[in-house]
Amino acid sequence: MFGLFDISTSGLVAQRVRLETIASNLANQETLLDSSGAYAPWRRRSVEFAAGDPSHGTSMGTHVAAIREGESFDLRYQPGHPYADDRGYVRYPDVDPVFEQVDALDAVRAYEANIAAVEATKSMFASALAILA
Amino acid sequence: MSFLDSTAGQTLETLMRFASARQTLLAHDLANLSTPGFRPVDVPVESFQHSLRDAIDAVREGRAAELKPQDTDGVRFDGRTPVLEPRPRSENILFHDRTDADSDRLLADLAENTLAFRAAAELYRFRMAQVLSAIRERP
Repeated sequence: MFGLFDISTSGLVAQRVRLETIASNLANQETLLDSSGAYAPWRRRSVEFAAGDPSHGTSMGTHVAAIREGESFDLRYQPGHPYADDRGYVRYPDVDPVFEQVDALDAVRAYEANIAAVEATKSMFASALAILA
Repeated sequence: MSFLDSTAGQTLETLMRFASARQTLLAHDLANLSTPGFRPVDVPVESFQHSLRDAIDAVREGRAAELKPQDTDGVRFDGRTPVLEPRPRSENILFHDRTDADSDRLLADLAENTLAFRAAAELYRFRMAQVLSAIRERP
């Protein structure tokens, strides 16, 4: 029955990684430069879940199989901008704050569902232990 | 015959084993709420209950010496230990990401399963307390 906690924990970890990704997207929605100062607009990131938990070598639970980087950018016409291309367009990150917030809500609800599973399992353990008490 | 060997004790033990195994499936389903293409799995609880009831009746009517539930749809018995053979729940239309996880039904089933386990554990504890009380010859 201890494996039950591992299954729910894998869900919690995966949803937390998803929330971190969303937070990164929101924090970088106007980021044009990378950490070294070169022009490299932030690419929107999204997590990809897959069933099973390779860290525990089991087919139960879930894990983040990949964090994908988007290919698209938001083109804004800003002639004279230091990073404008020949036609006067600047590539900005393609991050939609509304979409990210809805995704964040979904992640939080899924996180809470896993917490509910942990609480239920905990109460089962407590009942089983009470047999011995 | 002690309580632990009695039909009541065996029934409660089987129910607790079933509930803890099913809890694993429900936790797995909940962990994969956001997994694209994931089809939640479960076992038919009614089949298990019918099999358990038939086994109890068999003991009660003298057709069997001890509780021995028969294999049924989705549940195989290794002795009295239920071995679950999960199958897709298939109770919801598919969402756009080909996942048909239904969080409210899953959580309701989780609550029901937890209560079933706790009820069995509580009854077991009560009967054990009675046995202990008999041994001590005082309430």
